[in-house]
Amino acid sequence: MNDLLRYKDIILYRILAGLKSEARKNYLGYLWFILEPLLATGVFYFAMTHLTGQRGPTAVLTILVGMTAWQWFEGSVMLSANSIVAKFHVHMQVPLPKYIFPMVDVGTNTVRFGFSFVLIILACWLLVAGPSLALPWLALVLALQFVFIISLSLAVSILVTLFSDLLLLLNSIFRLLFFGSGIFFTVDKVPEHLLPYFYANPIAVFIDSYREIILFQRAPNLILLGEAALTTAKILVISGCIQYYFDKRLLKLTNV
Amino acid sequence: MSDLLVKLDDVGVYYRGGKSRKRSPNPPEQPWALRHLSFEIRKGEKLGIVGRNGCGKSTLLRLLAGIISPDEGKITYSSNNLHIQLLALGVGFEGHLSGAENAVLSGLFMGKSRRYMEQHLGAIQEFAELGDAFHLPVNTYSSGMNARLGFSIGLQTDPDVFLIDEVLGVGDHGFLVKSQAALQQKFKSDTTVILISHDATTINSICNRAVWLQNGAILADGVPGDVCRLYETNTS
Repeated sequence: MNDLLRYKDIILYRILAGLKSEARKNYLGYLWFILEPLLATGVFYFAMTHLTGQRGPTAVLTILVGMTAWQWFEGSVMLSANSIVAKFHVHMQVPLPKYIFPMVDVGTNTVRFGFSFVLIILACWLLVAGPSLALPWLALVLALQFVFIISLSLAVSILVTLFSDLLLLLNSIFRLLFFGSGIFFTVDKVPEHLLPYFYANPIAVFIDSYREIILFQRAPNLILLGEAALTTAKILVISGCIQYYFDKRLLKLTNV
Repeated sequence: MSDLLVKLDDVGVYYRGGKSRKRSPNPPEQPWALRHLSFEIRKGEKLGIVGRNGCGKSTLLRLLAGIISPDEGKITYSSNNLHIQLLALGVGFEGHLSGAENAVLSGLFMGKSRRYMEQHLGAIQEFAELGDAFHLPVNTYSSGMNARLGFSIGLQTDPDVFLIDEVLGVGDHGFLVKSQAALQQKFKSDTTVILISHDATTINSICNRAVWLQNGAILADGVPGDVCRLYETNTS
């Protein structure tokens, strides 16, 4: 129990330290946490509305919600793929559970996502629709996606340390998932017979839910969310087993 | 006996990484880093482990610190909370953070709580002789300052069992003398210390028990004078 508290402390302290460290590298420091998503969103908004013409704020924000949720997922998992390798020297010196550094990377990326997501919600309120009673559902979907990201990251971090080739494969898998998660299109564009496959991907369900809640002020589809939660739970159990099995074995199996 | 801290019972470790990626289903064909190791570590003991490069000393330290698990045999600790710590210089320093922040971070890695480290920041700053630089980012430090900070943090973590791998003192002459004195102090106090070295003279002078390790097995265990004489006559 004491150890768990200490690990929680390490993770939180490392996340804060990472953000602080990042901020100190640049002249504008912490301002970048707001400025960067603001710029990215602004450029994207401008490009979508002015260059491709026709589209109104709803269409643009639909894509933006999808992009941001996707980046939270992809960025976190890709960062955690290298977490253990990057901190190998630390693992060689102190007995730390191997989930610590993946969790730190997921945490840091989640804070970054938080800033972007809040900006997007504000933009939605200003341009499309104000806050609604569906808003509490947002917490549930965010929590689910967070657990989903952690579960995948825990497994990926160990597997990539063992088989570095996996990192290359991972890039392709992410590209495939990217196009299958409904970021540039909404669910109604998916052919009927492909829908079960589309919804088997939790990220697609999460993105669809965010849009329902923020843009259309509706509660998300709970059956689909339940299925996504089940998938998440399965991955979490598998990842837990992988972490448990390799925790004290990893350093004997590979030299990074 | 009640003062038994760690007991190794027929312990063996083998590595599968590195040279060959192929996995053999039969462990005995693998290069064993340690094999059939049995010994005990008692409270307050100053144990010196002597051996040539590649004899398994570092693997033994990692095993004792709980960084890796044994592939055969069993290690028993006197309690689950037994804190065994490798004296490491600057574990995971973050360049853009200050010496003080890194001290807390490093301490957390080494098994101390945040509050404990914050309470000991003053002592670390003083021992490392960093002055106001303690609050500057460590990427502005010289390598000597880095080593001094790392050493001071390690010293403050105060574990039940201290594992020391060859580093007996760091820094320029002044700090070298001071850090050696601080370690000597550990050897005089009731802290349990395990020192690893290929140099028998050091072990002979400060330890009260020595183990000679070769090819992952114990060749001699006993009074430092006898063990070191055996080691020196057989390896020179």
